[in-house]
Amino acid sequence: MSVRDDTTTIQRRPDRAAFAIALVLAIASIAIAWSTYHAGGMASTQPVGPKTVPYIVAACLFGLALWTAAEAWRGDFPEREEQQTAPILWVVGGLIVQMLTIKTVGFSLATALMFTATAYAFNERRIWLTLPFGLVFCFLVWLAFARGLQLSLPAGPLERLF
Amino acid sequence: MRHFIAAALAAGSLLVASQAFAADYKIMAPAAPGGGWDQTARTMQAALQDEKISPSVQVINVPGAGGTIGLAQFVNQSSGDADALIVGGYVMVGAILTNGSPVTLDQVTPIARLTGEFEAIVVPANSDIKDMAGLVAKLKENPGGVSWGGGSAGGTDHITAGLVAKAVGVDPTKVNYIAFSGGGEALAAILGGQVTVGISGYSEFSAQIAAGQLRLLGISSDEKVAGIEGPTFKEGGVDVAIQNWRMVAAAPGISDEQKAAISADVEKMVKSESWKKAVADKGWADTYLAGDEFAAQLKEDTAATESILKDIGLVK
Amino acid sequence: MNTFELLGQGLLTALQWSNLLYALIGVTLGTAVGVLPGIGPALTVALLLPVTYRLDPAGSLIMFAGIYYGGMYGGSTTSILLNTPGESASIVTALEGNKMARQGRGGPALATAAIGSFIAGLVATLGLAFIAPWVVQFALSFGPSEYFALMLLAFMTVSAAFGESTLRGLTALFIGLALGLIGIDQLTGQTRLAMGTPNLFDGISVTTLAVALFAIGETIAVVASRTSMDEKVEAVKGSVWMTKEDWRRSWKSWLRGTAIGFPIGAMPAGGADVSSFLSYSAEKQFSKHPEEFGKGAIEGVAGPEAANNASAAGTLVPLLTLGLPTTATAAIMLAGFQQFGLQPGPLLFVSNATLVWGLIASLLVANFMLLVLNLPLIGLWVRLLTIPRPWLYAGILTFATLGTIGASASTFMVGPLPTSFELGLLLLFGVLGYMLRRFGYPIAPVVVGLILGPMAERSLRQALQISQGDPTVLVHSWISIVLILLAFAAVLVPMILRARGKGQMLAAMAGDED
Repeated sequence: MSVRDDTTTIQRRPDRAAFAIALVLAIASIAIAWSTYHAGGMASTQPVGPKTVPYIVAACLFGLALWTAAEAWRGDFPEREEQQTAPILWVVGGLIVQMLTIKTVGFSLATALMFTATAYAFNERRIWLTLPFGLVFCFLVWLAFARGLQLSLPAGPLERLF
Repeated sequence: MRHFIAAALAAGSLLVASQAFAADYKIMAPAAPGGGWDQTARTMQAALQDEKISPSVQVINVPGAGGTIGLAQFVNQSSGDADALIVGGYVMVGAILTNGSPVTLDQVTPIARLTGEFEAIVVPANSDIKDMAGLVAKLKENPGGVSWGGGSAGGTDHITAGLVAKAVGVDPTKVNYIAFSGGGEALAAILGGQVTVGISGYSEFSAQIAAGQLRLLGISSDEKVAGIEGPTFKEGGVDVAIQNWRMVAAAPGISDEQKAAISADVEKMVKSESWKKAVADKGWADTYLAGDEFAAQLKEDTAATESILKDIGLVK
Repeated sequence: MNTFELLGQGLLTALQWSNLLYALIGVTLGTAVGVLPGIGPALTVALLLPVTYRLDPAGSLIMFAGIYYGGMYGGSTTSILLNTPGESASIVTALEGNKMARQGRGGPALATAAIGSFIAGLVATLGLAFIAPWVVQFALSFGPSEYFALMLLAFMTVSAAFGESTLRGLTALFIGLALGLIGIDQLTGQTRLAMGTPNLFDGISVTTLAVALFAIGETIAVVASRTSMDEKVEAVKGSVWMTKEDWRRSWKSWLRGTAIGFPIGAMPAGGADVSSFLSYSAEKQFSKHPEEFGKGAIEGVAGPEAANNASAAGTLVPLLTLGLPTTATAAIMLAGFQQFGLQPGPLLFVSNATLVWGLIASLLVANFMLLVLNLPLIGLWVRLLTIPRPWLYAGILTFATLGTIGASASTFMVGPLPTSFELGLLLLFGVLGYMLRRFGYPIAPVVVGLILGPMAERSLRQALQISQGDPTVLVHSWISIVLILLAFAAVLVPMILRARGKGQMLAAMAGDED
């Protein structure tokens, strides 16, 4: 990648987020190795048993963690654009609500909530428009797939009316 | 998005018209859409609806871990629900043991065994093993030298291989069993001469046996099966009989009257023309067995499976 | 020749008016469901198969052929336009195709995918008709050691999809490999890294991971970025159709893709995803414009799309001649054939000649119909991009979650509350997909690792188990040796070229990498 000369000294400094990635990779590699070591199991007569590949993957991940740390130190990661957090929370929140409620209130209602939250995240603030539309849309989808094509989608109070 | 809706509706409207909307039986298929248990559940669905035994039947797919995830969910959520059914099979018996499942088949109400399939041992046509006796001799001489190609470790194929070894006095832990994903990949390895013998459900091999590409060494039924030429394991001198069955069970905690009503519905379904036709079309063997006889058979199978899985070393 | 007569007879049946109508309904339904983001061909075929049950055998067979090819085709549309592949085989299509769509070249990308799919479908279906026995012989000569060599080759060449940084490409690949370890080890039945959660015993589903990383991750990345939120999408810049230059660059790729896809599709452990990965790396090697790869090279759409459709026809080779289902889609189709009274196997072509040739003829008709249906639709599909963002992405997430829930209704208790386990995974990997994008990691290698890793491990261990631990088994056949040599060449040749200062293109790329 190209970095303009005059800004080199400013940009090429240790990248904290990249260090965090290196740390996560290192923890993951140790977790894999630890869990493999402590997994029970019969003795394998084969040279390559069920534990060989997990150990190899763990070792490579650890190596990659070190490499990442080195690049983080040199500030080699690409520049990142500033992010808006609120919309992310709306999308993720919508998915969490859908996950938590889908088994109780059924596909249409839960998915309509997610639909509305996603649209809201994308700056469509007219909830009075998105929520009813989402509900009708999701119900039609449910009707087509669950009733029409026999896909097993969770039914709630709304779906049981039909 | 309009196109999506229009398209989805077009797809749906074809069938919607023929569906009644009152939910009756809910059959859980503890497998992905398209798998064996799913097909059993959907065939039941069609037969129950066509014969007007139940106005509307719903199939729910909960795949994973040899059916034990679906089983656990069924036991936890359907207790006392007389509309809930689950499809299952012999594979579950082994999976419950190898996965250390907290839920077992004791916790559901078995209704009936529906279909079954026998295990077959085959060799490629050009193999120097001619019959069961030949295989036994090779196995005794060098157990590791005979590689067995079949489905996943701990599945019916693996259990059968272990039972055969044990019956002829070979240490089951020495069996060189190569697990392939599904019968299809195993079949390819057998045809390609990658493994010494193949072991899987008979239907996996039937077309190749008929075409003379594979030689059937034995079949795991108690007695000769109509339409299958070839000796049983017992006729070949190996005292093993095993059946990979599929069953339907009801929820735990239902009353005796409810159980009787479900059993009557299932019996009516099994005797119906549409069920018989579907079973024949799919090449399944109708091995219907209901009530206490089935419950007793289930207990017997569970005990035998647990002991062989311990011998193979898959269960401690 | 007899074969020609039989095929002609089949075509006559398939070309009757009523059957043409069934074919049209089949391809329309197949495309309509297959095009939904997050719903791949396996689910499409499983869902739509019952629709054919009520027709007469010839009609249902023809509609079925339409559904199969339509479902295979539909996947590429949303990959290209929205960067949301519904299954693993269209991931590489998204790599270049979506870049093209962002430059307003969605039309040509869809067109090269459609025509490539048609040509691949045509050539491969004819291959199925005329050379199936030889292809299957070749496929059967692949045992575990040959597969291991093939996987080695795939790993080495797939690094072409790594993007600009070797470190980040490798890290993404190893994240996929680590995810691939989760679940029950097929060879010993031992549970690995499942953290005591039975829901993880069967491993991470490739579809869930792909849909999450692409559809969910993409949505979050778009919504989080100020610039992409303000960016105006131009659906079409220049022509919707392919230019002369596009044609010139596409036709060889179509043929190469077909040549790679058909035999690999016929292999028991091959499949559409592996062939699309290999085709993408081949295109990058052969292209006169390797610098365009990663920025919207048309070859990177034409090749893999042809490969994945050719392998769809290739899958039918072992299915029809051996009764051997090699993919999830094929296993579902096997069930479909049985309801027509077809028993796939070595005797099928003898005992059921009329029906088999009817099926092959139907595939040809369906393939042609897809082209006729889809070329005019391209203009319409491209307009998908003009749907206002809030509605478009809310719709994408609806279908992405629909496909995931529909495939598995497993419940996970959070305290007293029953929740959907698969949706939880989808969300987790969706956030992972966003983080990867945020820090400049490529996405495709994660999925590649999840697919190829377990296959490579399994074939290595199977090979060693059959040979009882003798490692020379890995080079016991000329096929393995050739594949291993190719794998090394894929790594060494560019290095040598770079060292000798030849191939300025490669050198320029290398400069970019460092």
